[in-house]
Amino acid sequence: MSFITQVLTTLGWIVVALAISPMVWLIIQPYYKGWSRAERRAADLLRDTLTPEQFRQLVWRGYLEVPSPTEPQRVYRVPRTKGYVQVIENGRAIMRLCVQPVECLPDADVVVLHKLMIEANEENYLQKANKYVCID
Amino acid sequence: MLRVMSRRGDDRVTWDEQKALAGDPEAIAAVREAERIFTQERTKGATGFRVEPGKPTQRIEHFDPTAEQIVMVPRVVGG
Repeated sequence: MSFITQVLTTLGWIVVALAISPMVWLIIQPYYKGWSRAERRAADLLRDTLTPEQFRQLVWRGYLEVPSPTEPQRVYRVPRTKGYVQVIENGRAIMRLCVQPVECLPDADVVVLHKLMIEANEENYLQKANKYVCID
Repeated sequence: MLRVMSRRGDDRVTWDEQKALAGDPEAIAAVREAERIFTQERTKGATGFRVEPGKPTQRIEHFDPTAEQIVMVPRVVGG
């Protein structure tokens, strides 16, 4: 009886550990990645540029939503790491964009780059991007 | 402050606008250095943005020493 109880307790702890490990990883990942000097500096710029709410969204959801300055129903979803920027209109993904800097930058700087270009240079940003239309 | 994005994170140049206006040689030199870097980056295709808390981000063509923070972003291409 006590052996079965021990096994069940151990299994219970394993389940709890597995359940919380993704959350723990999400919290420590920015610090882990920020060990390098470049990543740390880029993370500073990111924190200075985003509001606390935007920063939380980026950490927890893995993307930053940047509203279009010209189209009220459009939002750009910028991923935290390398990948396509999704264009969401009226809640539906209509397009994926691929835009990258000519120089290799830390991931955090790339997020800031997308944000600044969308907010203040959207037309040029869209001109430069390779577009992949989403079809249902 | 001027922040130039690069593979090293971002390089920063700071200046004191008030001291520069008052004629402080070090502050004037810092402003000139920031302006030189701004122009050099623009020549390479970078874009400058004036970023200030609570204000909309603004793209700038020319160096503005009154800006609280300018961020230089390298040229981008379709991937």
